[in-house]
Amino acid sequence: MTEPALKPDAVQDALGDLGTVETVRWNRVKVSTKIEKVREAILRAQSLLACDHVVQISAVDNGKSFELIYHLTGPHRMVIALAIDIPRDKPEVPTTSDILPPAGIYERQIHDLLGIVFRGHPDLRRIILNEDWPANEFPLRKDWKMDPNKFYGGVPPEVK
Amino acid sequence: MTEVVVPIGPQHPALKEPVNFKVVADGETIVRLELDVSYNHRGIEKAAEQRDFVRVVPLLERVCGICSHSHTTVFVKGIEEAMKLQVPPRAQFIRTIVAELERMHSHFLWLGVAAHEVGFNTLFMWTWRDREAVQDMLEEMTGNRVNYGTNEVGGVRRDLSPDEIQAALKRLPRLEERIAKYAEMVSKEQTMLLRFKGVGKLSKEQILKLGAVGPTARASGVDYDIRRDDPYLAYADVPWKVITDTHGDVYGRTLVRIGELQQSLQIVRFCLEHIPAGPIRTNPPRAAPRTEILSRYEAPRGELVHFIRTNNTDRVERLDIRTPTLANWTSVAVSLVNQNLADIPVVVAAIDPCLSCTSRITVVNERGRRIGEMTWDELSEHGRAFYRARGRR
Repeated sequence: MTEPALKPDAVQDALGDLGTVETVRWNRVKVSTKIEKVREAILRAQSLLACDHVVQISAVDNGKSFELIYHLTGPHRMVIALAIDIPRDKPEVPTTSDILPPAGIYERQIHDLLGIVFRGHPDLRRIILNEDWPANEFPLRKDWKMDPNKFYGGVPPEVK
Repeated sequence: MTEVVVPIGPQHPALKEPVNFKVVADGETIVRLELDVSYNHRGIEKAAEQRDFVRVVPLLERVCGICSHSHTTVFVKGIEEAMKLQVPPRAQFIRTIVAELERMHSHFLWLGVAAHEVGFNTLFMWTWRDREAVQDMLEEMTGNRVNYGTNEVGGVRRDLSPDEIQAALKRLPRLEERIAKYAEMVSKEQTMLLRFKGVGKLSKEQILKLGAVGPTARASGVDYDIRRDDPYLAYADVPWKVITDTHGDVYGRTLVRIGELQQSLQIVRFCLEHIPAGPIRTNPPRAAPRTEILSRYEAPRGELVHFIRTNNTDRVERLDIRTPTLANWTSVAVSLVNQNLADIPVVVAAIDPCLSCTSRITVVNERGRRIGEMTWDELSEHGRAFYRARGRR
């Protein structure tokens, strides 16, 4: 086991005023922050903590709200997770695709499957679902049910 | 100005969804790439929420044909971490052996396809014949050539008998010989040097900015390898080293993959010789406690990530899969701009060895009128003819 070169205390110093910092595992740190502070947190992680690689943007629907978790890592091998909570009635987040270039394609995917709107994203076109999937149907939401009267792609019913 | 739109895809076995590149070219130069991955989305992430841990493992094995062991391993190791299970060391070694054999067969397949795209069919036949030896080993050990069905939560499902270990060890020297031959060939063979050197170049800064992973990143000198940075299975106990290269082009990616073939063979040999005795599985509890796990794994194509959230039941609340090719697409789209049309087969094959043979190229003039089509094979042929006409420069 090689210990990561970054200590949890350094994360606390850099991001402590933006949210609560907890150490999950020997090489995982989770920071719970707010929607309006997430860009600030990513910029600080890039400048102060030398994070140069985005591992994943995980999106979770926990029934009450949406959660986005940005996992960042760098040469120090520590994975820093920035978690934000998004209300269901207004699922809007400022985009991070300008400061994290790989995030552009991940955000398109999350927008497609969960309906979270990324304000300022240059190109939120559909990427995962097929083009004849109906609009405003987000299949990964927990309350999503298939509507028997709608056509979800594939072979049209009149052809069968 | 004549613009050519080249659709590449959409079938792709290594992802949960196939990819279609639309390459826009101006004459012989590529202007930009458009991505379309909306084919055949099967909703595995949604389906995984409705099955218990025993049933979700065979489902995840079907995410991908080539990296099937990767997806199950990364999932079961995440669930085991959530349950705080101690997996027996023998099971970890068997998983490591299968994982490295899978890496070998994936890299052999890639090398053959890359050789095929540049018209070097002899090498294609050779590598795929050697890949058969790897798949025979996998079949002897697990019973299957493609979806091995080795993993389950808490261990592995089949033990290795001493006879199987001896049979596998007997196959290794010949494979080692062949890999050494390929390593020598790649640095000397004019056909490959001409078509691989300087094609699809990406600097270290570009790779970090675009978030590429795996051999694509390591070929540009980015020293990321999850097997070392975030150790799992038995990698911490096995002597091996991370292969990096500084070329940053398709030639560098070839060297990295051939180096990884040699390393994988050493890992397999070490694990077969030093496999510990003991049980191969522990009985897991039915349910996992409420937690969230980010499980990382170095698949043949790069870093594979599963984000798993459990909630005290026998099902996952959320499973978020980030496949390596999703991270690599952006970098490939950038590395192809201002390259020759003739280099598309090689650069795209450098991340993705399986392309739809029915792809069509539609040549349109500026008023959008179609004036001709080419199949993928004709494009490959065009690439060969283009370089033949240019001669060795």
